[in-house]
Amino acid sequence: MNLGRLSFLCCIAGAVVASGCGSIGIKPWQRDVLAREEMRLDSDPLDKAIDDHMYFSKEASSGGRSYAGGGCGCN
Amino acid sequence: MAASCALLSAGAARSQSSRLEDTVNEVLKDWSVDSALAYYHENGRIQAIEPVVDVSRVYADGSALNFNLTFDALSGASPNGALTSRAAQTFASPSGTSLTGPHTYTTAPGQLPVDPKYHDQRLAVGGNWTLPITRTDQLSIGGKLSDEHDFLSATVNASIAHDFNDKNTTLSFGVSNEYDRLSPIGGAPVPGSDYTLFEKTGGKTKDGVAGLLGVTQVMTRNWLTEFNISVDRFTGYLNDPYKITSIIDSAGDTTGYAYESRPDQRVRKSAYWENRVAWSSQLSTALSLRYMSDNWAVRSDTAQLHLRWVWADRDRYIEPTIRWYRQTEADFYTPFILAAETSTTGYQSSDSRLGPFQALTYGVKFAKKIAGPGASGGSEISVRAEYYQQTYDVRVPVPPGLQGLDLYPGLKAFLVQVGWRF
Repeated sequence: MNLGRLSFLCCIAGAVVASGCGSIGIKPWQRDVLAREEMRLDSDPLDKAIDDHMYFSKEASSGGRSYAGGGCGCN
Repeated sequence: MAASCALLSAGAARSQSSRLEDTVNEVLKDWSVDSALAYYHENGRIQAIEPVVDVSRVYADGSALNFNLTFDALSGASPNGALTSRAAQTFASPSGTSLTGPHTYTTAPGQLPVDPKYHDQRLAVGGNWTLPITRTDQLSIGGKLSDEHDFLSATVNASIAHDFNDKNTTLSFGVSNEYDRLSPIGGAPVPGSDYTLFEKTGGKTKDGVAGLLGVTQVMTRNWLTEFNISVDRFTGYLNDPYKITSIIDSAGDTTGYAYESRPDQRVRKSAYWENRVAWSSQLSTALSLRYMSDNWAVRSDTAQLHLRWVWADRDRYIEPTIRWYRQTEADFYTPFILAAETSTTGYQSSDSRLGPFQALTYGVKFAKKIAGPGASGGSEISVRAEYYQQTYDVRVPVPPGLQGLDLYPGLKAFLVQVGWRF
């Protein structure tokens, strides 16, 4: 694997988390915005499934957000 | 008398209909339903219709059940891997055992060779059960079965998630195991064998295992981030049994074809990072980045942005999307084999999905809340459209005889989807 690219992505993600360390996280009563449907990481599961199937059948990459297997003979 | 009977009959029918309605409402009270119908169309190639339905229920103890059903019907023309030529080319259909006779098709000069009678149907069912183990730990197990007339796939997965830091941080770890059985029409070709010899065997298998480690972090009141690292390893017959590679001479004339031959092991690693930010009460974005590499030398970068704008008391939203994707070619990818040369590894494939290309997707979704069945008495209808385009970047020098031909025509496709959930 290209460790340089992976390390870079990890560093950026780490830096973003670290930069917010002073005020990272919220209290339970502050979850109103995160409770919105569009803020859920698993929102629109069918859209994602249909898109993933299209990309899996047309590209060499899959997964990342979840497992990479396709369960389909199209690739 | 007849009128009384008619009234009684109508009353009984109404009563039966009412009971049915009550039963349906009782079931829908506990379950959420998400459904969609998608139509996918490639320019001059494949088209597909895909209905999907997903039902889920959350119990009082925090556990949740989910089932989904997907059906695909595909038809159209699929590239067989051979190179465009200045001469007409004749191929055997997958069930054919000769280059003459009824089980053949001919591609005109200058056209990309495609199997014009490609068709397939797929039925997939899946389920997932999530249950809390402690106040901060959650276990999830699931499975999926997918069946086509020439392919069967079974997957099981399990994951565990742990919340801490006031539930602002979630660590998760999951594993998955996939078993695939291939039963290609006419048999599975011997990898790398001469196309005209039709050396085929029976069914083949491949197995995959995958692991995923993820962290989800609430950054602020309106910012959520997720970072995943995943690895998967597939072994077995990894070839596309319907793909061949042209063998050409130095002038560019096709002298023969060989079935593709891929390594029997593939290991992929990927890093995925997603950020969701609510910029205001109406505007939010979801930006994801992914980097993937594998032991076939494929490297890919993906960036996708969703932007959602809600209005009308959150009853409607519109969501434009853009996705950019780029991949390098596998180290055994070749658009053709030069007759005078032999591959150093013995592996070769002209499958364009293993070639170098960029892809762009533009999309938009519109959704509106309406009255409907279910516990909330409301539902959401949506319509979504996407346009997908691949542009190839193959830099292999071609013989003079092939210059001027559109050897790598790329791909243009659109997708339209309607959805209803309640």
